[in-house]
Amino acid sequence: MKRYSQYTIEVGDLWDVSFWKKADTMDLIYIVYGLFIVILVVVSYVLGALSLLPHNPQEINLELLMAPPNTAGHLLGTDFMGRDILSRLIIGIQAYFLPGLLAIAIALTAGTIFGVLAGYWGGGLDTTTTYISNLLNSFPRLVLILLMVAAFKPDIYTIMLVVGVTNIPAVASLIRSKILFLKQKNFIEAAMALGLKSWVIIFKHILWHNCRAILIIQATLGMAEAILMETSLSYLGFGVQEPTPSWGNMVQAGANYFMQGNFWPSTAPALAILFTILGFHLLGDGLNNILEGKRG
Amino acid sequence: MKLSAIRPIALLLARELAITALLILGVSFVVFIIIYLSPGDPFGTLLKGQTTLPNAPENIRGALGTPPAWYAQYLSWLVNMVQGDFGTSTRTGLPVLNEVIRVGINTLYLTIGSMMVTLLIAVPVALFAARRGQTPVNWVLTMLAYVLSALPVFWLGYIAIYISMHHFGLFPLAFASSAQKWSWLYFMFPVLVLGLSNGTTSEVVRFLREEMSRVFSEDYIRTARAKGASIWKHSFKEGFLIPITEIIASKIPFILGGAVVVEQVFNWPGMGRMAWQAAQDRDFPLIMGITLLAAVFVRMGSLLQRFVHILVNPRASKE
Repeated sequence: MKRYSQYTIEVGDLWDVSFWKKADTMDLIYIVYGLFIVILVVVSYVLGALSLLPHNPQEINLELLMAPPNTAGHLLGTDFMGRDILSRLIIGIQAYFLPGLLAIAIALTAGTIFGVLAGYWGGGLDTTTTYISNLLNSFPRLVLILLMVAAFKPDIYTIMLVVGVTNIPAVASLIRSKILFLKQKNFIEAAMALGLKSWVIIFKHILWHNCRAILIIQATLGMAEAILMETSLSYLGFGVQEPTPSWGNMVQAGANYFMQGNFWPSTAPALAILFTILGFHLLGDGLNNILEGKRG
Repeated sequence: MKLSAIRPIALLLARELAITALLILGVSFVVFIIIYLSPGDPFGTLLKGQTTLPNAPENIRGALGTPPAWYAQYLSWLVNMVQGDFGTSTRTGLPVLNEVIRVGINTLYLTIGSMMVTLLIAVPVALFAARRGQTPVNWVLTMLAYVLSALPVFWLGYIAIYISMHHFGLFPLAFASSAQKWSWLYFMFPVLVLGLSNGTTSEVVRFLREEMSRVFSEDYIRTARAKGASIWKHSFKEGFLIPITEIIASKIPFILGGAVVVEQVFNWPGMGRMAWQAAQDRDFPLIMGITLLAAVFVRMGSLLQRFVHILVNPRASKE
């Protein structure tokens, strides 16, 4: 179907060089920074999973409490119990990485299904999907998660289930409006006129060729959301429990020392949260600006 | 205005009200189903430590009768709620509705205040960007909005508490009582912290900038500019009022979520803190009441947004 691709020039694709050439420099910087963070997170996750850490994250060293960065082999210093902060930060990624991927998978899969139902077939399905979206959007996410935590056990996978499900409407509405836009295009009309099966049009011509950018953007933004939720809930004491480190409970555990003026044990994980979420946001928005041409 | 002109608008407004009522019903159903599906036996919790008789749970269950089917349970719960009976908290024994409304007002202050702070930051940045296009200043401001949105709100809270303790000699963890001299200052810290880093600033800037620059490039704005009329006046409704109500309505859930954390940090006696406590105690009536009230709050925001939309542009909101 190469010859129809000329009709899709408004919509960028990941491998479409012309889009990258005329991209804004700022957006490219966003993307480079975002990719750097993503790679850093993935590499750290793998290192953590393989236990390839500079120090044992649980090892208590009472002779070296709250050491500043770069003392005695501790690159990021130690916390209030003399535990190596860098190792704890790396291990802390375990708390959100796989659950976050689960949340993304739920949001993208269900969001795509609902979006296709609403956009491609429309009618009553469209109305129903809108109502379900509005219903899900009525709940403040954190309050809904607290309800789930009260009803079931405070488990990270329960929490991420909620995050995934509450992200469905956003994905569905993007896919829906994209399909409504694509349906006016000649190449979809041609595909329909040629008698291609619906699923071929949907999977190949709509989703694969024209929606993968949206899905990747939503995946990065969804990861940012998942990290935010995981850290907030660990901070509130419902996620990962001490002594297993998570960025949220590390900030919380350092709170008392923070008020005494020892900022670093709380600040290091807080900065990790800040730079990571910033990276995912910038990657998503940078890709969005370039590929979806949202900039005015 | 003639009555015939008001009628279609009134119909649209009535439709929005009906939709809101339907959605709130749906919300109550979702809340009910979550609690209904939760594992554990309320009798077990009730009897824990009160009796050692092995067959006590069965006997009590027999005396109280078998529980009705789920839809009957839902309906009776719903009817009670419509009559204002949300049950009593299993921990304190106080009626849920009074408790939730008492703390809900505190959360309302916090939410509205921080929304104002967010808008005070986001609107000028967005206006500047929409009017001037991409300039270095604009880029720095946008970047700042991104950093603010990614800041963990609890950490910013710590910084605020630290600064207020060590530099102003204030301790903002005590909730503002009007008797104190600087009570408004205590009040300001949580509002500022939540307003700065509720995670919505960059999205608000982005959305407003896109909407405004879209409206600024419309034909009727060009006409207005050509004849020397005020652009601001012409673009106000479509380029400012509608997008701003839309973004406020869609961000209320996020700010309420952030309020849970900020209330925890600052010991603010609001709905979020109560939800946190209720989740720890598995206090079902209370957490159900809070979730419902929060959802009603969100829906009211959306309803207001739809009303503004309909009143400003009745034709476009008909579909």
